[in-house]
Amino acid sequence: MTKFDQINIGDTLGPLELFVSKDQCRAYAKLMGMGEGAGRFTDDEAAKKEGLPGMILPGNMSLGLLSKLVTDWIGSSNAWLKQMSTTYRVPVQPDHAITIHGFITNKNPAEQTAEIDVWMENEEAERLVTGTATVEFRK
Amino acid sequence: MSTILDLHTHSEASEDSRAPVEAYLNWIKLRAAERPVDGIVLTEHRQFNRGGDYRALEDKFGTLVLRASEVETNYGHMLVFGVNDDMVKRFDFADVHLDAQTLINEVARMGGIVVPCHPGRPNIGMYEHYQNKPPLENVVAVEALNGGSRKGEDERSAELIAKYGFAATGGSDSHLVSLIGLCATKFSAYIKTIEDLVNELKARNYEPVDFRPRRKAVPHAVAMESR
Repeated sequence: MTKFDQINIGDTLGPLELFVSKDQCRAYAKLMGMGEGAGRFTDDEAAKKEGLPGMILPGNMSLGLLSKLVTDWIGSSNAWLKQMSTTYRVPVQPDHAITIHGFITNKNPAEQTAEIDVWMENEEAERLVTGTATVEFRK
Repeated sequence: MSTILDLHTHSEASEDSRAPVEAYLNWIKLRAAERPVDGIVLTEHRQFNRGGDYRALEDKFGTLVLRASEVETNYGHMLVFGVNDDMVKRFDFADVHLDAQTLINEVARMGGIVVPCHPGRPNIGMYEHYQNKPPLENVVAVEALNGGSRKGEDERSAELIAKYGFAATGGSDSHLVSLIGLCATKFSAYIKTIEDLVNELKARNYEPVDFRPRRKAVPHAVAMESR
């Protein structure tokens, strides 16, 4: 369990190393109702027709994975993920290794909040999705 | 005495960044051993941001904070250093279709300098435009190293530099606090003001420096659990 007073600017979250398969990507898209009419999430050929290199992860799935890094870090602490913003720079492809990094970049003692940079990288260390999260510790 | 400046950064004044300037300076202090940067230049998107007084922060952290702009032209994105009232009156910085040649010539006439940034990036870099348009005149320098480059982008920038003899700069293009200072420019002179910076950029006495950690392969990626 982490307390606000114990965290420091510069502390790292993760890295979280993952491999998302095409089947998992399809399953997510189907579960979220994206399968029909959004072949880029389920089918390589449909994605290529749109100019993509192949199937890509839905943006919400990438957002969920970035959030997982933060919520795993929060764990059982008396805190919550208050805000998260993301920028989608490069399509995320399934069947590739991805790594998610996080750093605590700021603390606000009055608000009991911590600002966290998060991003997802591919095997080439290219940043695919970047974002910031605000975690609030309950007083 | 040399000076190392990160010439390309975005703070929360840009719509796609949430990074406060103070957090940038604190991160530079924390990472000084890995990224020995003496200062940053805020290059907010499509504007010249005069807001905020950073002198107290400069004193607190011992880090220089200068201001410039990143604008959008028919040859891609470009950094404008030495922005003054004449330039702001002459150009609508929010216009995403500025004429690059006019911008370069006019900014030089008004005392500044334009440096095309991430030239190797598709769509918004100069390299791609050079494939089907005539080369620009009076370009002194381009950004050789960009902290946000994907594989191949810095290589295309290097190709342009070799072919046209441009001077080369570096900048992080940071939109996140923890990415500040990953790339920068090392000047042989001491720089304290924007006028110093413009003069040195014109004088070509600098080189890009790369503080990005060496890229390493992911050894053991863990498969996500299926549910």
